[in-house]
Amino acid sequence: MSGGIFISGARLIDPASGRDAQGDLRIENGVIDAIGPGLSPDADDQVIEADGAVLGPALIDIGARAAEPGRSGIENLDTTIRAAAAGGVGTLVLSSSSGAGLTRPEDIDWISYRALQAPIRLLGAARTHTGAGEMAEIGLMLRAGAPLVSDGGELIADTRFLRNLLSYASAFDAWVGLTAEDLHLSDGTVAHESAMAVRLGLSARPGISQRLGVERLAALAELTGARILFERLTTADGLDAMKAARKRGLDVAASAPLTHLLFNEVDMGGLDPAYRLDPPLRSESDRQALLTAIADGLIDVIVSDHTPVALEAKANPFSDAAPGSSSLEALIPVLCTLDADGQLPLTAGLKALTSNPAELLGLPQGRLEEGAPADLVLFDPQAPNVYGKDGLESPAPSAFSGRRLQGRVLMSVVDGAMVSSRPGFAE
Amino acid sequence: MGQGEYSYTFPHRGLIAASALNRVDLELVFDSARAHLARNRTDDKKHPSLKGLTVINLFFEASTRTLASFEIAAKRLGADVVNFSAGNASLKKGESLADTANTLAAMQPDLLVVRHQSPGAADFFQRTTGISTINAGDGANEHPTQALLDLFTLSEHLGDVGGKRIAIVGDILHSRVARSNVALLSLMNADIRLCGPASLLPADADRWGASVFHSVEAAIEGCDAVMVLRLQRERMSAGLIPSAREYAAIYGLDHTRLSLANQDCIVMHPGPMNRGIEINSALADDTDISVILDQVEAGVAVRMAVLELLAGRGMQEMVP
Repeated sequence: MSGGIFISGARLIDPASGRDAQGDLRIENGVIDAIGPGLSPDADDQVIEADGAVLGPALIDIGARAAEPGRSGIENLDTTIRAAAAGGVGTLVLSSSSGAGLTRPEDIDWISYRALQAPIRLLGAARTHTGAGEMAEIGLMLRAGAPLVSDGGELIADTRFLRNLLSYASAFDAWVGLTAEDLHLSDGTVAHESAMAVRLGLSARPGISQRLGVERLAALAELTGARILFERLTTADGLDAMKAARKRGLDVAASAPLTHLLFNEVDMGGLDPAYRLDPPLRSESDRQALLTAIADGLIDVIVSDHTPVALEAKANPFSDAAPGSSSLEALIPVLCTLDADGQLPLTAGLKALTSNPAELLGLPQGRLEEGAPADLVLFDPQAPNVYGKDGLESPAPSAFSGRRLQGRVLMSVVDGAMVSSRPGFAE
Repeated sequence: MGQGEYSYTFPHRGLIAASALNRVDLELVFDSARAHLARNRTDDKKHPSLKGLTVINLFFEASTRTLASFEIAAKRLGADVVNFSAGNASLKKGESLADTANTLAAMQPDLLVVRHQSPGAADFFQRTTGISTINAGDGANEHPTQALLDLFTLSEHLGDVGGKRIAIVGDILHSRVARSNVALLSLMNADIRLCGPASLLPADADRWGASVFHSVEAAIEGCDAVMVLRLQRERMSAGLIPSAREYAAIYGLDHTRLSLANQDCIVMHPGPMNRGIEINSALADDTDISVILDQVEAGVAVRMAVLELLAGRGMQEMVP
């Protein structure tokens, strides 16, 4: 047996336990063997000098889209996986709207098969439905390894069907990720309803569309006993409704997309299609509410909401451009930037991308703990980063392109193996 | 044994709901059914206790086996039998149900056997016409003769059903068979378990006096009998469950799953079966375990007993 990996002189951050201290960490046989200050490497260990960089659990992104299966696009799955590894993601849960949709157990089997060769942990969410009023094979997909069920961003309008679906899913004790919007208020809109959107002449949805969505789903959670994950909450209105649902003791959770932590509607004021996102960018007060909700735990997880949109689909006027942004490689820079600006403590941001999603889905990774899987990310939180200037793995258009951020991933480790490292680092 | 020995006269004008029956009623039915069952196996099946009476089978919902079972039962008892069924034009002429009832009543039948898609339909016929009516299934409400024949079959195999663990697996929500069975099994103090996809279980099923399970493995554990219900195809198109293959994989009964039950556990099905969906074909045909054809046979005998009792021509009147 060859030696382990010894990372010395790191700032160890473990969001689960709240640890944030200088120290060393040793990996052996795919697990964290020892953590603490003043450790010494074994004779045949590979020693990596962290030089004060942050060492935390590798990120767990439970909401990233791939262009496959069943379709092709600007990036193939291998590229998406490389982008994830470069972004510090150790566990990637593909959205059920990936490719032509993860609607059958065969699709989940395909992901398991691809996961065998992937350097990172790869999973896929099971789609809730195959068509209007047609339930997907949720049970078989969960048995095949899907960690959750999700509508993949496609709002289920039929409340009776949704009730049946939630009842059915409740027997499997799985989280059901659902889009919280009012169908008629949100359908066909491209912007958040505000003075700005109106002035720009954009079709817009009010914040209460999300509130109505959350309230509707919360009522159904109460009726059916299902565990609902409100996917991609972005408004203060929606968060108020979420808070009320929690207060009622319902088993609900919420995620927020990365883009909405950094950007607001002013960023789309120039009608740059790069900021055409779904849900649309919201007001600054919504963004502030979102950051507060992450810091105080009302929002459980941050998702990249990575969406590889073809260049030609983006090359359109704002309203006609396809929504979405390549975001996997922006996760760490956004967290570092928000921390440096005093907007969101790094530990809180990391928690929503490590131990919280791990706990939600019952995964053993996502914490710095002796005996835990050695899934780690080492990053320099201070390094200036003009997003995309030094190249990215993902070729898809990104809302972050050219943005001055800070923070850079130096190395990603999954299952004890280095899966990505910044050129020149630890070589 | 005749009715007289109980010092008890079957007090029901019709058989609308299994939940209206008491334990003495059941003994009366089953004692008589046992005699009919034995006679039905001989080559002299005729027992003309209903001679001179007319029975109308009125089936607004398609049925082959239940209709045949009632028809054979009435004919073996010597009654004149007329069948109206769903395919029959006379039931499709837009006449109101009350008019249909009164028209038929004017022909002076003595017993009506009614199957209809609406809960309360059999009771409606009985109240409208004043004629003794047997409910052969009213929507998802009740199917009392099915529950009687199921309990009869259970008793023949298990003896006293009290304390026995019996699971009903499948679409409980839409099942009149489940509702009637729960009524009779509760009366007998059986340990009843209901199991199915949560979207096919009533929200308050735990208040039916049964324990509720979503895992078929957990439900079957330690069972003395498992009743498998038919899965209607329209449940898939109605968005209540995903697919036949998922249902088979997660809720379907086969030998492997059944090994979690007691060693002598029997398997029942009200028919018609979807082989390979709710029940594995090999299990359905395993005569050491499956009593499905016993149920069908018992059906005729139990219906004969019910017809006689309702006509007031139970066994004692036949004994000189």
